[in-house]
Amino acid sequence: MKHARVLLNGSELDVTVEDNGQLKSKADGQLINEADVTWLSPIKEPGTIFALGLNYADHARELAFEPPKEPLVFLKGTNTLTGNKQNAYRPDNIDFQHYECELVAVIGKEGKNISREDAMDYIAGYTVCNDFAIRDYLENYYRPNLRVKSRDSLLPIGPWLIDKDDVGDISDLKVTTHVNGELTQDGTTADIIFDVPFLVEYLSKIMTLKPGDMIATGTPEGLKDMQPGDTVVCEIEKIGALTTYIVSEQEFYGDKY
Amino acid sequence: MTNNPIVKGKLVCVALNDSDQFNAMQAEFGEAPYKSAPTQPVLYFKPHNTWSTEGAEVEWAVTEGQPAEEMVVGASLAVVFGKECCRVSPEEALDYVGGYTLVHDFSLPEKSYYRPDIKGKCLDGSAPIGGAVVPASDIADPQSLTVATKVNGETVNEMPLSRSVRSVAELISTISYIMTLQPGEVIAVAFPGQRAAVAKGDKVTSEIAGVVSLNNQLGQ
Repeated sequence: MKHARVLLNGSELDVTVEDNGQLKSKADGQLINEADVTWLSPIKEPGTIFALGLNYADHARELAFEPPKEPLVFLKGTNTLTGNKQNAYRPDNIDFQHYECELVAVIGKEGKNISREDAMDYIAGYTVCNDFAIRDYLENYYRPNLRVKSRDSLLPIGPWLIDKDDVGDISDLKVTTHVNGELTQDGTTADIIFDVPFLVEYLSKIMTLKPGDMIATGTPEGLKDMQPGDTVVCEIEKIGALTTYIVSEQEFYGDKY
Repeated sequence: MTNNPIVKGKLVCVALNDSDQFNAMQAEFGEAPYKSAPTQPVLYFKPHNTWSTEGAEVEWAVTEGQPAEEMVVGASLAVVFGKECCRVSPEEALDYVGGYTLVHDFSLPEKSYYRPDIKGKCLDGSAPIGGAVVPASDIADPQSLTVATKVNGETVNEMPLSRSVRSVAELISTISYIMTLQPGEVIAVAFPGQRAAVAKGDKVTSEIAGVVSLNNQLGQ
């Protein structure tokens, strides 16, 4: 089942997404047209957002890095989250902002010291995120730092959370990004270096994982600069396609610019 | 692990904001892996599994299945936002502060600032916050405050906020241009560069004299 959260007439609503794309209210079964809603992040109470750097063998090569021997994990603030078909902004006066299409595993059960063998019992389901990065802001302190990776709106996620059992095997799913209709990123989760069971074991040795925590598992090669006006679609086979519209900093912040 | 009613959403910590440490590290900043000094505040999150409270016992860290050899603690003034704070100037920054309190950052020893220190900083219950939140209106100038930390009654650190590389107002402004801060979110603005070593069972007390104190004890 696909679980989503939307705004309808100013109210937040938990819905399921039917096979024909129609939305169905979990509260009263009412059918809703997608055209009438604003998509929100599908995770109602977002916890810790873990993201992986350099976790695809091909992407590590692209950036001229040796594949890491240990996961490169960083955290993101919940201010970064936004939903499907929403705006994300390009900061003024930068040279390189790129998308990163990523499979996200969402924790469904609290646990610590979880073994790799038991790890999948702690996963509720999956979604797709676009973990934008501003490469101009990289400095060698807690790299990639919060200025690069924790900006408002720069983690679109969704459109929905799909139950783990509806997806099955995640070890060879196509991961693609289209910018303005052109295919720019074309990989597979088969190139993931540290897989979801490994990451659940690794992180839960350090800290307790809780429902609503998310693990964004990294991105394959195919980086490209984004400009206001661009439409970016990140898609993962069997999970979903996430659309984001790039706008300028001024357009995004409006009165607060 | 005790969650904390004070902090909601984000706990942002500022590293390398003690000018004594910052100045002492100048030569190291020039070398690999850093290659140059930071031009921006060096920030990290303490995620929600770390949030804890006044009086709480702090678990002794376990790494690779073994009790950690060492743990350290730093204390900082914690700025608690009273209203949404997005893209504010340093001049108006303090208007967004609802109150002030203290945070203890228990961690493994800080060995490098190159990569996010998930193993060292994300330990369960390692960020007690409190005990009280002092209304911002009671604090005319946060830069005039000093945070003192005692371990088992002996003073191990004193961090006058006047020793910060960047002021509270400047940090709020800079961070608010990266991320919008919501009411109840917290920035820990200035830890002493030299963290204090702690042992199992130690009592850690931090205080801003006459304003607020925070007491925790390490577990066994």
